[in-house]
Amino acid sequence: MEEKIRKIKQEAFEEVGKAKNLDELSQLKIKYLGRKSAFNEILKSLKDLSNEEKKIIGPLANSVKSEIAGFLEETERLLEIKSFDWAAEKIDVTIPGQKIRRGHLHPLSMVRNEIEDIFTAMGFEIADGPEIETEHYNFDALNIPKDHPARDKWDTFWVKNDSGKERTLLRTHTSPVQVRFMEKNKPPFRIISPGKCFRNEATDARHEHTFYQFEALVVGDDINVGHFKFIAQQFFSSFFKKEIDVRVRPSYFPFTEPSFEFDISCSVCQQKGCSVCSGTGWLEVGGAGMVNQEVFVASGYPRGRYQGFAWGFGLERLLILRHRIDDIRLFHSGDLRFINQF
Amino acid sequence: MKYSYSWLKELSGSKKTVEEIAELLTFHAFEIEGIEKNEKISDQVVVGEILEIQPHPNADKLQLTRVNVGKKELSIVCGARNIQVGNKVPVALVGAKLPGNFEIKEAEIRGVKSFGMLCAEDELGLGDDHGGILILDQDLEVGTFLSKVLELDDSVIEIDVLANRAHDALSHVGMAREIAALEGREIDYDYDGLVLNWKKTPKMKVSIKVEDGEICSRYGTAYLEKLEVGPSPQWLQNRLKTCGLRPINNVVDATNYVMLELGQPLHAFDADKIDSKIQIRRAKKGEQLKILDGSVKKLSSQDIVIAEAEKVLALAGVMGGFDSGVNEKTKNIILEAANFNPAMIRRTRTGLGISSDAALRFEKGLDPNLTEKALVRVVEILEHIAGAELVGAGDQYSQKPKKKIVELKLDYVESLLGIKISENEIRKILENLGLVIEKKAKNWKVEVPTFRLDLETQEDLIEEIGRVYGYEKIPAIAPSAPLQIPKINPERNFERKLKNILVAEGFSEVYNYAFYEEKDTEIAQIHGQKHVELANSLNSWQNLMRISLFPGLLKNVRENLKNFKEFSIFEIGRIYCSSEDILPLEKKRLSGIFVFDFGKKETKKGGEFFQAKGYLDNVLKNIGLESHYYHQLEIEADQKYPNLWHPGRTSEIKLENSGQKIGVLGEINPALLKKLDIEKKVIGFDFDLKELSQISQGEMEYQPLRKYPTVMRDLSLVSPQAVKVDDILSSIQALGGSLVLDVDLFDIFDFEDGSTSFGFHVVLGADDHTLKGSEIEDILKKIVEGLEKEYQMTIRS
Repeated sequence: MEEKIRKIKQEAFEEVGKAKNLDELSQLKIKYLGRKSAFNEILKSLKDLSNEEKKIIGPLANSVKSEIAGFLEETERLLEIKSFDWAAEKIDVTIPGQKIRRGHLHPLSMVRNEIEDIFTAMGFEIADGPEIETEHYNFDALNIPKDHPARDKWDTFWVKNDSGKERTLLRTHTSPVQVRFMEKNKPPFRIISPGKCFRNEATDARHEHTFYQFEALVVGDDINVGHFKFIAQQFFSSFFKKEIDVRVRPSYFPFTEPSFEFDISCSVCQQKGCSVCSGTGWLEVGGAGMVNQEVFVASGYPRGRYQGFAWGFGLERLLILRHRIDDIRLFHSGDLRFINQF
Repeated sequence: MKYSYSWLKELSGSKKTVEEIAELLTFHAFEIEGIEKNEKISDQVVVGEILEIQPHPNADKLQLTRVNVGKKELSIVCGARNIQVGNKVPVALVGAKLPGNFEIKEAEIRGVKSFGMLCAEDELGLGDDHGGILILDQDLEVGTFLSKVLELDDSVIEIDVLANRAHDALSHVGMAREIAALEGREIDYDYDGLVLNWKKTPKMKVSIKVEDGEICSRYGTAYLEKLEVGPSPQWLQNRLKTCGLRPINNVVDATNYVMLELGQPLHAFDADKIDSKIQIRRAKKGEQLKILDGSVKKLSSQDIVIAEAEKVLALAGVMGGFDSGVNEKTKNIILEAANFNPAMIRRTRTGLGISSDAALRFEKGLDPNLTEKALVRVVEILEHIAGAELVGAGDQYSQKPKKKIVELKLDYVESLLGIKISENEIRKILENLGLVIEKKAKNWKVEVPTFRLDLETQEDLIEEIGRVYGYEKIPAIAPSAPLQIPKINPERNFERKLKNILVAEGFSEVYNYAFYEEKDTEIAQIHGQKHVELANSLNSWQNLMRISLFPGLLKNVRENLKNFKEFSIFEIGRIYCSSEDILPLEKKRLSGIFVFDFGKKETKKGGEFFQAKGYLDNVLKNIGLESHYYHQLEIEADQKYPNLWHPGRTSEIKLENSGQKIGVLGEINPALLKKLDIEKKVIGFDFDLKELSQISQGEMEYQPLRKYPTVMRDLSLVSPQAVKVDDILSSIQALGGSLVLDVDLFDIFDFEDGSTSFGFHVVLGADDHTLKGSEIEDILKKIVEGLEKEYQMTIRS
């Protein structure tokens, strides 16, 4: 019996070693390990042997079976690999990939999303208002009455009006949203109002009659200048992903008192001086101030009851700073050579 | 405004350099537009006197001069003709370096030696006048350095004065007061001492009547006689030029000088050219005036005028009249220093389109107490430089301002600024600005002088305190606010989500202007529809507010086709629909365009449309919309203007249950594209954003995975006539019953004989068992038989 087993093993190794393909191999698998194989017959006949013999033949048969099975498996792996014509399979991986249409969000949308995310993380609500506004909301309620010289600062597109009703215009800033929001809400609150604004001025590489503004308004019982500085620092540091310092200079806006211009430390050169900040280390960004009590009164709040700050800046300016864009008109050009870079 | 650095220094007592002053003002008061330093003129340029002028022997255009420069006499060749013997002129000696690195050397000009150069203004870098040699003051001593004579060490500092400070800071005294206060001092200038000695001054000979105090709150006059009109002395001319004003004659120059010094515009009338009765009144309809620049203006009751009985003399506060102006023959003048209604001046300036330094000051309001001070200063100067004699003065002052007291709560200062500033410091700041503190408990009463019109409220005072103290000293502090999640803005969230989905489908986002022109309305089926129109558009092609995004998008297509063969773009933006309300109805729209590059390959009919439809279905599914269908839109081919949409290739997208129309997908009318020079097929779609957001809401529900396997079988059928695929799909579904889980068209092909071949994938399965082969065959047979009966379709062999 022992002899027989060894013989089968020898035969099996010989034949399997000579197998040329997977088909032959699967035939051999059946021949040596199949139900009708000589080996299986031996295993079946084990039960007829004496206990002594069982002790010797049993383990031997099992170990030979697994040896054959192992060899079959190994051979199968080899043959599988050999079954491919690798030389013919070879491709030139430097051939360009298939062109898949890739979409691009407009940079103004991207920056607006980023800004909204930062502010919402700080608990600001997003408020909205019409782009065509009444004279009241755009000017009067913001303490810029008719014939006020400050109106010159906002070159205005007026809407043709032959109805005799209140004059309307293309909003020159997002500040009307402040009044509209306050008419319906009580402090404390913090909101942002991003949106499209218009200035009646000829366009060139640095001027655009259509632009996007971003405005934040925080009102409560004791909001002060230091709070504005803090929120501005938080925002710009988060936006530029580095520590940004905010500097405040005096300014004048009818709807805030005190009013400021604010600069941020140059996001490019770490205040070492570069071409973006013209060597000053600072970038002019926007205007801000403590809400004028006249605006609160126009919104229906009692005079002297609340304090708040408002600040605004242009989205284009942030993008121009970040990406060194040299022509502001590109934003409204619809030119995919520009948009598809973002 | 341009300020003279030396003048500011003199008035403020500041020891700072011009750069230091600029920095001080930047952080505490005003922005600096720029600093111009006059290039220092070499000490080799001196005052010379012309002793002799002779023609050049070899050149007609040149002259030979002998010039006394103090220590010696020089022979100098000169080309200019404006010189006379006895003139004092600037002489650049040999070795002098002139601006532009031009060094004077001993030279031989056409055979004659020349030892220096007589200089014109521009050669010295003093201006751009090259009209001739600069003729200097006759009184100057020969041989003195020119730089000393002309105060050429001065610098110009241009300051952007804020609109609310124009009334005081558009003057050297006002700016000097600011600088002194920022340096912690009060200005040392006898402002209050500028008063006319009324006891010694006779009353005006001319009668002056102001119509009412509303148009003119104060009208001050002075009558001066025996003037000698001529050029102003050098020092005065220099200061005017530094500040960007052109010297004219001593009378006009003196009024301009005082305007620069105190901020009050003045006007001088030639007294001999006007009547003895003057009125200040509203202009009458139809009145006209020829103003100083020679143009004639038609006036209205909006305008304030200075007039005689029959004739308008001047446009008050804006510009003088041509006929009553001062010239070299003038002997007697009436000086005017007045305070006019700012709003009316502003309306006149903008209405008539005339701007002047005077108007820009008047329209921002002025201290009424300035008029007398300004008159005193002009009289002083004209007595000195023109030999004038004051023979009369008048003052119509109807509306004297009340004492202005503003209450200041010290707690509020800290609360608003966010920093505690000591009482002492606050008092010093306010006093240095000229304010008077009356009571010194916690609630102060602060008296504001008339020269600070802008300080009206507590907050105004706090701004003064904050900026002088220094905003940089205020620490950044976190506000305490309720810790709560902000209310979400669902429309905004939807817009963001939608944009991201579109971008994932390969769209690029464009932004277009909100306005277009009449011609653009011919695009987009909106010709003749009511538009919101601008009253003062920048130009004629941007005068209508858009009611469709397509005019902009199609222009984008035309331009981008110059660089790209295929692309898809979208815009989400507002349109402005006329309404009965004051404001138009603003609606957000989503519109988009597909441009495919199918190259020269033969493609199936309307292939672009179906590719676009596939993309759009993905977008709609991604916003949670499954149950929509495309309904053929019947459009009559318009005659005059091509329709936006292709009459046979446009669909309305509708909701399955309600039939509600939610948008349009179609080919853009090729006839229209031709007009726009677009030669490709272009597919467009259009949605109302709000409607889209409303139907896309709702949570999606999970479908349990099938327990039993499904099978997919293909059906290839030929129809002898045109059949709507949608109908076949419904029939297959109906014929197969609940075991048909899904049907898909995977192929469609038109034969030349008019028949069409269709290929469908049919997915079959049951909820409770694995389908047997015979079951499957039965269903397919039923479907095929049904289709044959309904549409005469046959199995394709």
